[in-house]
Amino acid sequence: MRGFLDYVAGDSILHRLNPITKIILSLCICIACFASNNLIFLVGIIGIDLVFGAVGHVFDKAVSLLKGLVKISIFLFIIQVLFVHSGTVLVPLPFGLDITLDGVVLAAKVVLKIIGATMPLALLLSVTQMSDLSNALVKKLNVPYQYAFTFTTAIRFIPIFADEMAGIMEAQTSRGVEFDTKNIFKKLGLILPLCVPLLISSVKKINSSAIAAEVRGFHLRNRTSGYKDYPIAGNDTVAIFLSVLLVLFSLYLNTL
Amino acid sequence: MITFKDVSFSYTPTVTILRDVDFSIERGEFVAIVGSNGAGKSTMLRLMNGLLKPGVGEVFVDDLSTHTNKTSKLAKRVGLLFQNPDRQICCNTIAEEIAFGFKNLELPQEEIDATVADIIEDFGFDGARDPFSVSRGERQKIALASIIAVAPEIIILDEPTTGLDYRECIHIMDKVTALNETGTTIIMVCHDMELVLDYAKRVIVVAAGQIIADGNAHEVFRDTFAMQTASLLPPQIIELATELGGQFEQADTVEQIVDIVKARKAV
Ligand SMILES: Nc1ncnc2c1ncn2[C@@H]1O[C@H](COP(=O)(O)OP(=O)(O)OP(=O)(O)O)[C@@H](O)[C@H]1O
Ligand SMILES: [Mg+2]
Repeated sequence: MRGFLDYVAGDSILHRLNPITKIILSLCICIACFASNNLIFLVGIIGIDLVFGAVGHVFDKAVSLLKGLVKISIFLFIIQVLFVHSGTVLVPLPFGLDITLDGVVLAAKVVLKIIGATMPLALLLSVTQMSDLSNALVKKLNVPYQYAFTFTTAIRFIPIFADEMAGIMEAQTSRGVEFDTKNIFKKLGLILPLCVPLLISSVKKINSSAIAAEVRGFHLRNRTSGYKDYPIAGNDTVAIFLSVLLVLFSLYLNTL
Repeated sequence: MITFKDVSFSYTPTVTILRDVDFSIERGEFVAIVGSNGAGKSTMLRLMNGLLKPGVGEVFVDDLSTHTNKTSKLAKRVGLLFQNPDRQICCNTIAEEIAFGFKNLELPQEEIDATVADIIEDFGFDGARDPFSVSRGERQKIALASIIAVAPEIIILDEPTTGLDYRECIHIMDKVTALNETGTTIIMVCHDMELVLDYAKRVIVVAAGQIIADGNAHEVFRDTFAMQTASLLPPQIIELATELGGQFEQADTVEQIVDIVKARKAV
């Protein structure tokens, strides 16, 4: 988990694209994923995600991200399969929990959509600096700085919370709480009471970052404060055009 | 009690954090582990109760390998106090917090209540208070108390005194020393060399993931090479003793130096 949302410095074509373009690009991939009903197209999108990883020199990260998502997906897949009972029965099970073709196809689609849509968002953060992201949102899209800041801060805090949670679980395991059990349901039951210390440390952290922002003149900041400009270049136009094309293509495939 | 057999450890494939660490700690010892920031001290502590498993080699608690024994099972023998008490505290009152460790031990309730009451009295807590609303030093003491409560044979402390004032610091160290005198093994990471000299009997110096010195405090702090390699400053009293040389050379405490000076005056 550690570091999967971190920025990886570099000078690839993806790094050099305008942050806004990158947002549009990843949003379009997400939309295409959720709009599409075509299994092959969805697999293709995941392929495209990996290609982007390679182009942005973060291929290893893309692969480990994919591995992580696949692990989560197996769980989702099984649940999904057990909930759909229409269509040809593939494996008969007791209590009417038959595994059917419809179920498997639907589950595969859901899982592929989730994987295909999550990867570009995570990769976006690997090739874009947070400050560029929020500044471009403020300059180009007229988003009030407070909102852009809230957005990037929320993302920035995810790994911090994950670390904090890991630390709390370590401390509790050392006191004999069975977090090292293999039984995932038992583990979930044990995690719930830990929300208290997590919440308390989070509120403390957020409070101190709010104070730190305030003493550095946060309330004075507006659209004109950033000195960097984010012009839309030729590459950007092409990328946006291709993104829109991708969405249209996914819609077109659905009509076939 | 705790044995590291040729242990190497890394979090990521590229960086090795600990290299060929090999030592053992016997029952009843009071060991301080010292070294600069990032030397790998906390990592060593996490290996000791199986939170981390060594990549190469093996770690034993008594004769149990941490590879095959879960941390939550080892918790009965090894209590680990983390640097940040807020990660450990999770109950609504101080009394509950101290009783927390017993949940997993299946002891009779009267016995638990009696122990908790003893500990609360010993530390002078108000059992009904919310542990999050007290001061930093107090929270550190609550965390320590809740580890002591279940009476593990080995207590491991990661920088137990950082951020505490002198009084709180001495209070905690006195509690720990009292436990050590009744046979509990103490292993402590500490950046305060004066404190280490005053309390620890054995000092292990870690630099860049390797043990570069291991012995009693008196010798280790006089090992100039090890001190420099680990970027540590020996306690001032030892520096003074070494600078004065001669009769003073072997002195470790203010009293010893004073005694020598007085004896000289008398002559
Ligand atoms: N979870 C982790 N993943 C990757 N690297 C880590 C992790 N935890 C620690 N490290 C790295 O391991 C090295 C040793 O860390 P460790 O916490 O053991 O040092 P330490 O000696 O306790 O230092 P300090 O005195 O600052 O507490 C550091 O370089 C640190 O960056
Ligand atoms: Mg440490």
